[in-house]
Amino acid sequence: MSMAVARPDALAAPVGLEHTLIQECRRGDPRAFARLVEVHERLVYGLAARLLGDSEEARDVSQEVFLQVFRTLDQFEGRSSLKTWIYRIAVNQCHNRRRWWQRRRRDRMVPLDVVTPAEEPREGAECGPERQFQRSEQARVLQRALGALPFRQRAVLLLREVEGLSCEQTAEALGLPVGTVKSRLSRARLALKQELEKSA
Amino acid sequence: MKCTQVRRHFSGLRDGDLPREQDTAVRGHLASCPDCRAEWDAYTCALDGLARSPRLEPSESMAGRVLNRLEVERRGPGLALLFRPVWAARPLIWPSLIPAALVVLSVIAATLFLDRSSDVLPDVYVRPGSMAWGAAPEPGTEQNPFFAGGAVDGPHHRGVGVPAEVLAELTDGTFFIQTVVARDGSVAGGTLLAGDEKSAARLVDAMRQQRFEPARYQGRPVAVSLYRLISRMEVRAPVI
Repeated sequence: MSMAVARPDALAAPVGLEHTLIQECRRGDPRAFARLVEVHERLVYGLAARLLGDSEEARDVSQEVFLQVFRTLDQFEGRSSLKTWIYRIAVNQCHNRRRWWQRRRRDRMVPLDVVTPAEEPREGAECGPERQFQRSEQARVLQRALGALPFRQRAVLLLREVEGLSCEQTAEALGLPVGTVKSRLSRARLALKQELEKSA
Repeated sequence: MKCTQVRRHFSGLRDGDLPREQDTAVRGHLASCPDCRAEWDAYTCALDGLARSPRLEPSESMAGRVLNRLEVERRGPGLALLFRPVWAARPLIWPSLIPAALVVLSVIAATLFLDRSSDVLPDVYVRPGSMAWGAAPEPGTEQNPFFAGGAVDGPHHRGVGVPAEVLAELTDGTFFIQTVVARDGSVAGGTLLAGDEKSAARLVDAMRQQRFEPARYQGRPVAVSLYRLISRMEVRAPVI
């Protein structure tokens, strides 16, 4: 019986290193901030791309996220990890962008399956054109199913299943009680399964 | 435990959140119920597929671009406004208003200062005997015998004209003479504008002696300029 597995890059960064990085960023060290961006940009971009379904928008929102991180870093109190705090900003930015779309009715025009994975094939894995097409098609179907979910369900599902956060960390990142996260997660998992079955 | 109850606990089972007894009951049901087992397998397959999906990565690092944006913001809110959407630029509006207010205050202060110093403008030098700056003489007077428009009657010639011997003395050519017929009918001035000055001297003097019925404008006599063009040429009969 399978269980959710946390990704290695989803594990919390060493506390001491993170603290040092934050202090250097607060002192206005551009190299420290560049390092902070480099460490977290994949997480933020990946989440934004799946939440918004558009790579260009995801890149734009990711930049906004890091700008907000820089502007509000003094307000970070360290109650949660830096990564969870950045996730929270990212989800809020994506939510704002999505509302901006809805006001301009762009959400009906932008396809939700334009993002494609950029991961290199694992060692030993098949990498022929058929396999590549299959992987690309799977990603497209998955993204379309994700796009059919309400934004809130998509956010909780991605943080828990893809980013590998615990329910408690997901609750911190979304600013919700843990119970709410669990019930929302349950509905989101079921909805995803049903959307994938529709596609099949 | 019924199938619907078991399927309601799939999420808790996946997270390992179920109490021990409930966990045991659900797993026991899955082992004995093929339908629920198939449903669970489909459920975990969908979620595992999502969890194992390749990570989406940006095509290039965004650290440089973010730092550039920060640098633009540090340089000044005016430039930063160009690179940010409206909702993000809102915090920069207030800092922008302060220099804008200072500029407006400076302009007002400079205007008031210049306006105050204009009270002591230097006097204009006027050469003695020349027409001073100010209001021009009234039209229709000898000092201003010009009209911008309007119907002027006359002047009409009165008495003798230019003597014939004066005209006979003129050399061949064209003479253009300006005279001012004053309000009393006398000729207040004569000026040769074009032509031989020596030849026209007696002609100009003769014209100054002429008398006119003064020109009238709305019934009152007015001074006007009178321009006269005189051409003289000798015409001989052709020799046959």
